[in-house]
Amino acid sequence: MTHRRWFTPWLLVAPAVGWLLVFNLWPSLNTVVLAFTNAKPLGGGHFTGLANFARALDDSQLTDALVNSVVYMLVCLPLLTMLPLLLAILVEKRLPGITFFRTAFYTPVVASAVVVALIWGWVLDDRGLVNGFAQWLGVVAEPVPFLTDRWLLLFSAISLTVWKGLGYYMIIYLSALGNVRRELHEAAAVDGAGAVRRFWSVTVPGVRNTMLLVSVLVSVSALRVFSELYVLSNGTGGPGGRDMSVVMLIQLYTRGFSGHLGYASALSIVLFVITVGPMLLLLRLDRKAA
Amino acid sequence: MRRYWSGLGLAAVLAAAGCGLGDTGQPAAAPGATATGEVKGKVSLQTWALKPKFTDYMQKVIDSFEKKYPGVEVEWLDQPGDGYSDKVLSQAAGNSLPDVTNLPPEYALPLVKQGLLLDVAQADPAVKDEYVPGGLSAYTYPGVQGVYGYPWYLNTDVNYWNSELMAENGLDAKKPPASFDELVAQARTLKDKSGGKVYLMSRKPELGDFVQAGVKLVSDDGKHFTFNTPEAAALLDKYRDAFKQGLLPRDVLTDTYAGNAKLFNEGTVAWTTGGGNYITSLAVDNPSLAPKVVPSPAFGTPPLYVQGLSVSAKSKNAPAALALARWVTSAENQAAFAHLVAIFPSTKASANDPFFSKSDGTNAGDAKVMAFASLAKAKMLEPVVLTEAMKKIVKQQFALAISGEVSSKEALDTAVAKCDELLQG
Repeated sequence: MTHRRWFTPWLLVAPAVGWLLVFNLWPSLNTVVLAFTNAKPLGGGHFTGLANFARALDDSQLTDALVNSVVYMLVCLPLLTMLPLLLAILVEKRLPGITFFRTAFYTPVVASAVVVALIWGWVLDDRGLVNGFAQWLGVVAEPVPFLTDRWLLLFSAISLTVWKGLGYYMIIYLSALGNVRRELHEAAAVDGAGAVRRFWSVTVPGVRNTMLLVSVLVSVSALRVFSELYVLSNGTGGPGGRDMSVVMLIQLYTRGFSGHLGYASALSIVLFVITVGPMLLLLRLDRKAA
Repeated sequence: MRRYWSGLGLAAVLAAAGCGLGDTGQPAAAPGATATGEVKGKVSLQTWALKPKFTDYMQKVIDSFEKKYPGVEVEWLDQPGDGYSDKVLSQAAGNSLPDVTNLPPEYALPLVKQGLLLDVAQADPAVKDEYVPGGLSAYTYPGVQGVYGYPWYLNTDVNYWNSELMAENGLDAKKPPASFDELVAQARTLKDKSGGKVYLMSRKPELGDFVQAGVKLVSDDGKHFTFNTPEAAALLDKYRDAFKQGLLPRDVLTDTYAGNAKLFNEGTVAWTTGGGNYITSLAVDNPSLAPKVVPSPAFGTPPLYVQGLSVSAKSKNAPAALALARWVTSAENQAAFAHLVAIFPSTKASANDPFFSKSDGTNAGDAKVMAFASLAKAKMLEPVVLTEAMKKIVKQQFALAISGEVSSKEALDTAVAKCDELLQG
């Protein structure tokens, strides 16, 4: 005879629920509340209504940061959705030594984002490897301002994100490709479909759901980018601070004894809204396509 | 569904009630305290990154204090260099500030505004006679009565010139530039003669440079920034012209270059600034360069860097805490500390110590004496109300002005407006 107690399931989920409440729900609610105040780390704050959001509308740094984040997402999204898939198709083949390539492509994922960004900083610096080599070859007379030009710095950071993310999404696609039935490829080949046709008509539909997942993950992480831009700009946000992402802006306002927690919370809500937007759009597109 | 919404509403109300908004946020009155009373009990002393290099020194200071006051037990806490402000902030917010804490003046100010630190001048009036005015004024804030820390150790900057690099390019390190215009002229000579391979100047202007140009940075009441003046714009214009002529490395715009001192150590920049001990530390990094370095006094008013010990207003053993802070910062203990590391005591009694005022004839000795002599007229150039966020915004706007993307006036107006917004927000 089994003895059932009504609270047993609750006891089992209690640690997870407790964790969610304390470290997810409570801080989220707190952020919403703080966004309507002028709270500081010391001494509390007052309710200020929509003042923080009005200030955000008038903040040229936020405009720059939003432009940077959207450009980041628009460039990263197609590159990190398609390139890892192509890479996965390449390394999916069972050839001698293929494991080496799989591991090599995955290595940047394991490396710390900060360390990788530091190395890229040295490589792209005015006196760095790339400029030194280009000048030695006589391709350029002056160093290319990878880290001192607003757009070049942004695209350098995007390159870093793409390079680092390739391996991660490649692994996701590898597992998805395993589920695409081999017979479909064989049947298409028999019907005369070439490699490109089979890619678009068999592989892509077969990994469509995974592509959607990757697109969502890429969009969200691109909009929340921090480490790459922070380290490549040495924390300055690029020339004139015009390469800041929204997360860097939030970090700017939260640090120190006089941190502006209210305004930083309002910026967090703005970021949350713009992050949820593309997610919903992608899900809607998927539903329509289905 | 209704239950769902009412649950969410309750959560929001609970969140609003519990989000630390209960306080008014208004500056608290400076707490009165007294040094009278028996020096006894347990007191905590918090220092900043002194372990393990200075463990022996600090332990001796603490042991001698406990010997002098047998009823006192000192708990020494040393925090790592990184994240110190966050640590102090969490201690202040959690009501667990140690009895005596090493706080630079800009860290102490927000705690003073919350009434968390003792006015040591009120509790111990003798401080005004024993410590140098520059050190005391660093812990005196606009709009607040009192002195909120015992000045501990001081430092300042000296100019350092690479004599070899300068001589190779037609300059004489014994006749260094005496003004900004001369600096630019010599930077041009160095660039022309070296074919642009080395630089004399390698840093962006800072707010401290405006002080040298006679610009007032902040209003007397400390509530507004005032550095958007024509004089400040003229100085930025000069930097922009120098940058355009290639007299500064391009990556000063984003600080992604190796750093002024690093480039000097490498021998690619002929001028840097540093503390009185700079040549001694350079001798470790680049022993062949160190003997070729010539020091000269800083341009205009030398910057003053101050560290101090503040006493918590909530200390349960205030007499013991005050006695401990005074003991650690005493002339004798500071002098012993200054023999171990390149710092200068903040006590008046140390002024005639030949260790600081007489050179051993080496360039390193000359630099130390020069730095010590400079302390007499050194001032904190940047206002204490300047936060890290403000500094970053100022740097960003200066970079825009120097790159020519916006006019100097526009950059200064934006910097002042944003800093005012942060100051008053």
